[in-house]
Amino acid sequence: MNAPLITIENLKKRFDIRMGAFGEKAASVHALDDFTADIIEGETFSLVGESGCGKSTTGFCILNLQRPSGGRVIYKGTDLATLDEDGMRPFRRDLQIVFQDPYSTLNPRMTIGEALSEPILFHGLATKAELPARLTRLLADVGLSQRFASRYPHELSGGQRQRVAIARALACEPRFIVCDEAISALDVSVQAQILNLLLDLQEKYKLTYLFIAHDLAVVRHISDRVGVMYLGRLAELAPAQALFATPLHPYTRALLSAVPEANPHAAQTRQRLQGEVPSPLNPPSGCRFHTRCPLARDTCRATVPPLREVAPGHRVACHAVTSATTTNWEPVSA
Amino acid sequence: MSSVTTQIEDERPSSLWRDAWKRLRRNKLALTGLGVIAVLVIFAAFGPWLTPYDFLSQNLDARNLAPSLSHPFGTDDLGRDVASRVIYGARTAFLVAVLVTAIALAIGVLLGAIAGFYGGTFDKVLMWVTDMTMSVPQLLLVVVINASLKQPITLWMEARYLATMNPIWRNGAIIDFALVFGSMAIISWPPYARLVRAQVLSIRNRPYVTAARALGLTNRLILMRYVLPNAMGALIVAVSAGLGTAMVLESAFSFLGVGVNPPTPSWGNMISDGLRVWTNYPHLLVAPAAVLAVVTVAFNFLGDGLNDALNPKGQK
Repeated sequence: MNAPLITIENLKKRFDIRMGAFGEKAASVHALDDFTADIIEGETFSLVGESGCGKSTTGFCILNLQRPSGGRVIYKGTDLATLDEDGMRPFRRDLQIVFQDPYSTLNPRMTIGEALSEPILFHGLATKAELPARLTRLLADVGLSQRFASRYPHELSGGQRQRVAIARALACEPRFIVCDEAISALDVSVQAQILNLLLDLQEKYKLTYLFIAHDLAVVRHISDRVGVMYLGRLAELAPAQALFATPLHPYTRALLSAVPEANPHAAQTRQRLQGEVPSPLNPPSGCRFHTRCPLARDTCRATVPPLREVAPGHRVACHAVTSATTTNWEPVSA
Repeated sequence: MSSVTTQIEDERPSSLWRDAWKRLRRNKLALTGLGVIAVLVIFAAFGPWLTPYDFLSQNLDARNLAPSLSHPFGTDDLGRDVASRVIYGARTAFLVAVLVTAIALAIGVLLGAIAGFYGGTFDKVLMWVTDMTMSVPQLLLVVVINASLKQPITLWMEARYLATMNPIWRNGAIIDFALVFGSMAIISWPPYARLVRAQVLSIRNRPYVTAARALGLTNRLILMRYVLPNAMGALIVAVSAGLGTAMVLESAFSFLGVGVNPPTPSWGNMISDGLRVWTNYPHLLVAPAAVLAVVTVAFNFLGDGLNDALNPKGQK
């Protein structure tokens, strides 16, 4: 296994809600709490979870596009979380992002060529003379002809725009790309194309991906490791195979049992969760999943379960799970 | 789907501005407005060469003539050709409107963009200032500024003249214009500042701006190349409406006697003069008032058309 490219320790993000004439802090949204993980060079690390569970916030905080409220993000020996905009600039080249919505990710007033030239010229990655060749290669990398350089974003389809967005990230010659739901907004047929493109580029340029998604089938297909998030916390983190073969956290199990089965005759043991996701404004004490967990006990309400390694590389934050094979408790009947 | 492919197949570049112009061209009302404004701009620019009479020359033998072929709008009580004065009034109106809007725009865009983009205390203070300025009735504010500053400035200029003997300090029209421009700019910039701030606030959180930040670009670059160009549409619409408003304001102030003073013709002071004698010589009132009304409506049509052309999503 390669060395960690980025080490994330106890990353936190709170959004304070201020009210009243003097902006007193009325409440805070706990978007992300104590996120700890290494991102290994060359891997695809996926984050899955429901909407609002903090997976995108994690990506934004790692890149310091949202300032973390606490914790550390170590890259090349530097804690990115402490850097301001100017301090981040030299690292921005290496760490890129592709956004979800291909329709709003490109400046409508710039041609594709201008949009792609911007980072190249700004970071001095090519001279003005080398630029046309560089643009052609960049567009070819994402499967577009060089004619697109003179087009405006509104003339392109969603899939084409997403290719341009990927090309823009590649223009910086990065090592790490956050794919923030990068394919969720696309048609299913286009999703597969973009996904394959991302995988080809990863191989060609030795890229590391943080892949944020909610489509478990996609995640299973492309990931090396998968983190499952619930209400701002990492519930389970495991190699993709282990996670899909032996999900340990009760939330992961419920999530996986919700994946539709292609074979109508296959036995469906869907585990339905009761209730709604609690508000991150006022998250439950102890284990954040205890309000909906079939295994919840008093301990779960009182103490936060640590993310424990129960099998090689397989970590779970659940009081009930002590090893990869045993779940200590029986479900509580409601 | 096929339209997308064909668009991409043909090599003609198409930009948002070109598309907006295409949409504007289909709008008859907006084109009419644009035409009227264009004609007036030509008259304002080349008026002295287009009119057969000087706007100041009096002909006491030809006073208060009704409209005729030689005097299309008739003559006024000093025998001056009304058509020439209306045309020269266009010059005054455009000069005031363009300069006031330019000053207001420069202040408004600069302050609004900084406030919206960086936020913080500056933003709060700016919003207080705009709220305060906009809460005072515009006419009252202009009258107060004119009344309180006219005398000190006149005295100061007199002193400058005595000190330098430069005749420029004796030119009373400068004070008139400076005060008109200044006070109108003071009441005109807050709406621009608020508009730009609101635009910047909504644009700065769009993914393409976040993407620009992720690329490592500097704030200045992001503001100039990503945020402001995308605020241009709304700003152009506001400027087109603002030019019309500024003309009406100038006329209103001149009508009340706090704006451009005679003998410089302004539609406002011509309307004011015409109003006194309108029962006997209605053409003296109708000519400037009609032109003012037509220009105002033209600017509104153009503004509406621009709004539809630049924000096509806004159409239901």
